Amino acid sequence: MDTIKNNSFVKKVGFNRLVLCCVLVLLYIAFAILSPTFLSYSRILSALNYAYFLGFLAFGVTFVIATGGIDFSIGPVMFASALISGQLLTKSGFPVIVCLLVSICVGLLFGVLNGFLVAYGGLPSFITSMAIMQLAKGVGSVFTKTQSVSWPQEWYRNLVKMKIGNTQIPTGLIILLLVAVVLWAILSKTKAGRYILCIGSNKEAVRLSGVNVKKWEMLAYIICGTCAGIAAIFYVGAYTTVQPGLGDTFNNEAIAACVMGGTSMSGGLASVGGSFIGVMVIALLQEGILAMGFQKDYQYVITGIIVIIAVFADIRSRRKKN
Amino acid sequence: MSEVILTMEGIDKSFPGVHALDHVNLEIRKGEVHALMGENGAGKSTLMKVLTGIYTKDSGKIIYEGKEVEYGSPKEAQDAGIVIVHQELNMLGHLSVAQNIFIGREPKKGGLIDDSRMNTEAAKLFEQLKIKIDPKEKMNRLTVGKQQMCEIAKAISHDAKIIVFDEPTAALTETEIQELFKIIRDLRKKQMGIVYISHRMDEINVITDRVTVMRDGAYVGTLITKESTKSDIINMMVGRVIYEEPKTESAISEDAPVVLKVEHLNAGKMVRDVSFSLHKGEILGFSGLMGAGRTETARALFGADKKERGEIYINGQKIEINSPSDAVKHGIGYLSEDRKRFGIVTEKTVAENATLASLDNYLSGMFINKKKENEVTEEYVKQLKIKTPGVDQLVVNLSGGNQQKAVIAKWLIKDCDILIFDEPTRGIDVGAKSEIYHLMSTLAAEGKSIIMISSEMPEILRMSDRIMVMCEGKKTGEIGIEEATQEKIMHLATQRN
Amino acid sequence: MENNHKKGLVKVVGTQKAVVVVVLIVLFGFFCIMSPMFRQYSTILSILDYSYYITFMAIGVTFCLITGGVDLSIGTGMICCGLVGGYMINVMGMPTIVGLLAAIVVGLIFGVINGTLVAVLNIPPFIATLGTMMVARGIGSIATGGLSQTWPVAGSENGWFRNIFKIDIGGLKLPVGFMLIIVTVIVMSIVLNKTNVGRYIIAIGSNKEATRLSGVNVVKYQMSAYIISGFFIGLAGISYAATFQAIAPGTGAGLELDAIGGAIIGGTSMNGGLGSIVGTLLGVFIMSMLKTGLPYIGLQANWQQIITCAVLIGAVFIDVQKNKKLQ
Repeated sequence: MDTIKNNSFVKKVGFNRLVLCCVLVLLYIAFAILSPTFLSYSRILSALNYAYFLGFLAFGVTFVIATGGIDFSIGPVMFASALISGQLLTKSGFPVIVCLLVSICVGLLFGVLNGFLVAYGGLPSFITSMAIMQLAKGVGSVFTKTQSVSWPQEWYRNLVKMKIGNTQIPTGLIILLLVAVVLWAILSKTKAGRYILCIGSNKEAVRLSGVNVKKWEMLAYIICGTCAGIAAIFYVGAYTTVQPGLGDTFNNEAIAACVMGGTSMSGGLASVGGSFIGVMVIALLQEGILAMGFQKDYQYVITGIIVIIAVFADIRSRRKKN
Repeated sequence: MSEVILTMEGIDKSFPGVHALDHVNLEIRKGEVHALMGENGAGKSTLMKVLTGIYTKDSGKIIYEGKEVEYGSPKEAQDAGIVIVHQELNMLGHLSVAQNIFIGREPKKGGLIDDSRMNTEAAKLFEQLKIKIDPKEKMNRLTVGKQQMCEIAKAISHDAKIIVFDEPTAALTETEIQELFKIIRDLRKKQMGIVYISHRMDEINVITDRVTVMRDGAYVGTLITKESTKSDIINMMVGRVIYEEPKTESAISEDAPVVLKVEHLNAGKMVRDVSFSLHKGEILGFSGLMGAGRTETARALFGADKKERGEIYINGQKIEINSPSDAVKHGIGYLSEDRKRFGIVTEKTVAENATLASLDNYLSGMFINKKKENEVTEEYVKQLKIKTPGVDQLVVNLSGGNQQKAVIAKWLIKDCDILIFDEPTRGIDVGAKSEIYHLMSTLAAEGKSIIMISSEMPEILRMSDRIMVMCEGKKTGEIGIEEATQEKIMHLATQRN
Repeated sequence: MENNHKKGLVKVVGTQKAVVVVVLIVLFGFFCIMSPMFRQYSTILSILDYSYYITFMAIGVTFCLITGGVDLSIGTGMICCGLVGGYMINVMGMPTIVGLLAAIVVGLIFGVINGTLVAVLNIPPFIATLGTMMVARGIGSIATGGLSQTWPVAGSENGWFRNIFKIDIGGLKLPVGFMLIIVTVIVMSIVLNKTNVGRYIIAIGSNKEATRLSGVNVVKYQMSAYIISGFFIGLAGISYAATFQAIAPGTGAGLELDAIGGAIIGGTSMNGGLGSIVGTLLGVFIMSMLKTGLPYIGLQANWQQIITCAVLIGAVFIDVQKNKKLQ
């Protein structure tokens, strides 16, 4: 086991992530065997639809977890963004591009609020983000007067998938990958990312090095909120209708994806790539469970168990290091 | 002469890299108050931790009430009648005094906890000790002095025969100290054996019968309090042969400019109206005992802790420091004494730690210029002789000494002109120590100004051009290196006004 | 100096309950004035109806909060208990009493699992119970076939258990459940303040290491807090079933926030060591009153979520300040 772990290729990509890729492949094979219809291209597209918005949610919350915090508001914030911008689109006739921007802005604003309360107000992130989650549910619902919103067929759907000739191209995947690369670059190659990771590892040491930790901690939450706003676009692009008051389950799945992908709940260790693969696993799982005719409940249970196992493994490995 | 109740013989205890206790002896008699003295790091607390089962000894014997014993936990020792009175450790702040005293052995009535009986029993204890404390009061609402008395009451309720007081008067008012002494005299009459760990000479003189002095983990000797002087004790505390050459004269000239002036710095109880100056190219040693307030002064200066008052001048200009970022902007760097908690970022590499204070200088546009970062880190790795397989090594994998050097590199890379080193060689092996000393001298020679906080006397005498001594938050004196001796420093370090 | 310090603390810690009672009265008065319809007896009945299950959840989670932890699985866990109990009655044909017991057993099982994860495996409580919350969301449904369960209605042969909460005497409905709550509050207050379990739970929350050094089995008692919470989600499930019609699978998430919020408003500190059952009850009443009262003054139920958020953040902020003062 150690020889595998010490191999240079493994080290570069990350043992965790490689295992996860294997899991992904094995899962796919398993589903393909269990359900013959699984091998179709449309299945893959369907699974990817789930992966897009979840992916953005997971990327965003990766930054927050990197600082040692957590954000339970992402799902409902995504919905609030979709509801508010959708309402402007369908009821007030704003142009599509404006509404897309509004969606991103709503997410950003929630991120600002959350970040401010945690970084500057010193409130514990988990209860604060849960409160913000309620706020998001309420705001979205109030804005649309409790009505759900259905986004129309418009050009923005091409962001999710585009028909070229006879085939559907999963453009969403391309965008997701691009954003993943951008966020990965931010996290590992910019000052912001460096500070965010260091804060999660040892906030006081960073403060004593002269860094304004409050500012950078808040930034992580702003990135998270903005990603939720972007996720909204991909959600409506794939699923059309948003209902107020929902969204919690996506929180858990996004967090599960991060934890699976090697992002540590104690902070300081985060991987956008890992979250990406984690999201793929969950999306595949979701699709597979659907394909086999099982209810969503199995997904909830499996995701819950994944979180517990992944966190436990992370704690064990951290303890060994120290 | 009353009978001996406890003998610790030849106690030896080592930790990786540190020989904490070197064949230490201690003899406690019934009905005596026995002081245990020594500098920071002399081994007093370690010895007591061995006694009460927090540490296991490597060799030696503990004979208690005629029998050889070894305790595996503080509870075991407590059940046998040996109790340490700490200040904060064993306190359950949210519970009441009586509830704290009887935790784990609550009396029951009809299956439920009998709080009123606990209150009565506790009141009896306080009456015995002649203290006025309400057993129903929540622990965290009492002053530190009263909390300590509760600990004493708790010890007595466990039928303690030996009570160890570890720096009991550090946080007490004068009145509370007198109350404490009354109680201690009472306990002595009751034939208890009392160990009194303290730095305060005047108290030792008043309340103790004998004094045992430790130094660098070894037993030096035992004196009868009434027959000894303060100087006798200080000589035993510091009377070591110093192998390194102490500095004989200041490395800077008389008219070196003042780079840093601090006036009337006030920050809570630990920093009380401290004023001092630092000259260019000077190494100013901050000496004092634990709890003197040196780290607190440094942190207040650095903006790490809030201060109530204080004017800071750099090169004659008044500046505002309200946070570490302000301090760093003005060229001040602070190497904190707790490396693991405040110094290094554990999951990051040497290079990432090294540029943490100066990241803005290593950017190309939005991105971190990894090449430049690695280059500058490698430069300092070479210069400071940091032993690491590479700059991409996780800093947590380095040895203590090399970790320390990595943190020093961080401040050098930031090009700070004023450096505060808080216990720079703590937990570092001899080889790395002299490298750090050499480094500090070089930096000073290059014109950097250094404040060095240290609890190691030889280090203070070897490195400082001038020594400032603190005691309990106040600056008690300043000595130039030419006139400095260990005794003089220790006198100032124990001078309470 | 010392006296002022004391005064400040007494103000914040001791009189929080008094403040909460005042707020409760003011709120009630406010709604009564603003809406004539609010003043009816049936309104009070419905406020109470909606508060029973939250109160039970809140009482249970108070114990976890006092240890410095939390139990996020109480919402979905409660639904799970209700589903299993309902399934046993409706589908397996068991007598109601078996259904009631089953609900409690399921709750206890969750408690043991949570307790093991937190106290034995040392997984941080919020992530451990987040995991069990997710599992609970699905497993109840899987175990019971995925359908909603409706417990026997009032008046039917098996519906006697509903009388525990509400009795219909000649057209007048009496909220007997309120008596039940009062009794529970009294009992659990005694458990918290007068039994070893409660005492050590407080001690652990105050200073876990000092408690351990005093010879107390910290693992056992920390686990007990979660088992108590589990027991109460069983009770919550029963009262949910008794006061509502159907229990739908997959629901329940979000309710834990009302319960935890109620506890925090009532003075329980998230840092541990401090909390009271009576305070929790009062806090839950405030949340319930807000929840039911807002529609009467014309605000949609969604505003309740926004206001819950504000109230919760306010309560947490006060809690953080309280703890800062104690440092």
